[in-house]
Amino acid sequence: MAPVELEQPEVEESLLLDSGWVTIVWNDPVNLMSYVSYVFQTYFGYPESKAKKLMLDVHEKGRAVVSKGGREEMERDTEAMHEFGLWATFQRDR
Amino acid sequence: MGGPFRRTGDRVLVMLAAPERAVLAQLLADVRTMLAAEGADDDPAADGDPASGPAPARERDPLADLVGVDDDWLAAVTAGAGLEEEPLDERPAAERFEDPAVARLLPDANREDPKVSAEFRRLTEAGLRSRKRATLDRAGAALRRPDPVVLDAEEAQALLKGLTDVRLVLAERLGLRTDQDAEMIHAVLSGMSDSEEPWVVMAGLYDELTWWQESLVRELPR
Repeated sequence: MAPVELEQPEVEESLLLDSGWVTIVWNDPVNLMSYVSYVFQTYFGYPESKAKKLMLDVHEKGRAVVSKGGREEMERDTEAMHEFGLWATFQRDR
Repeated sequence: MGGPFRRTGDRVLVMLAAPERAVLAQLLADVRTMLAAEGADDDPAADGDPASGPAPARERDPLADLVGVDDDWLAAVTAGAGLEEEPLDERPAAERFEDPAVARLLPDANREDPKVSAEFRRLTEAGLRSRKRATLDRAGAALRRPDPVVLDAEEAQALLKGLTDVRLVLAERLGLRTDQDAEMIHAVLSGMSDSEEPWVVMAGLYDELTWWQESLVRELPR
């Protein structure tokens, strides 16, 4: 047990350092509104209302932040969006 | 609403006629060829997917390359060069790929830092290509089954993703850049649906696939 206690501050610090990234989905003329909502619901597990709001942001504002977290997590989300054919990027949150 | 897909329990019935399914399966196969590993574009059989049998010796999986201890690797280590990788290619997708449709299928993942984007691509592109190919294969194989074609949940999602990739490629060929372009297609077609101009034929196909995908996504559970 002792080593876990000793290492804990480091883990906390690395979590802090590693957060603050976002995944962005950009509008494109191909992907259907219904499909984009479907992807947000099935991949992220968002409720229909949230998925639809994000989809409308993509469609109307040209982009939406669809997830926030650590860099690795955002890279994973971006790759998954590419697998679905959505136009996604990750970057530092600002 | 109608449409060629109908949900039955947790499966989806495909009501496209066999010739329509054959066209779609061919389009899926065409996109699969476009996504062959870089440098192997002329040799789709060298992909090494499980469906096509054991991986050929020329498989270029970077992870396998790292794990595999071959003579070159030993030589590199003993020479003190370690696992030095090739210099990072920081070109954006638009410059890196001759075909803009491939650039759209494998887009840049970071718009601010070409280095970050290139690092991501180096780590993920081979896997993304291979998963996309597997998805296109799965969807195509299902469509080639005899009537009645009923998709399980995984096949249905594979077809949904496959339809997306096919439509992305067709849209690139048609020059669709904006939402207005996409809306224009429908209007243009209603005026000249019997034209045999290549652009009109392709636009007609795109429009049909859009309708099919709309039907499929509606029938899928969330």
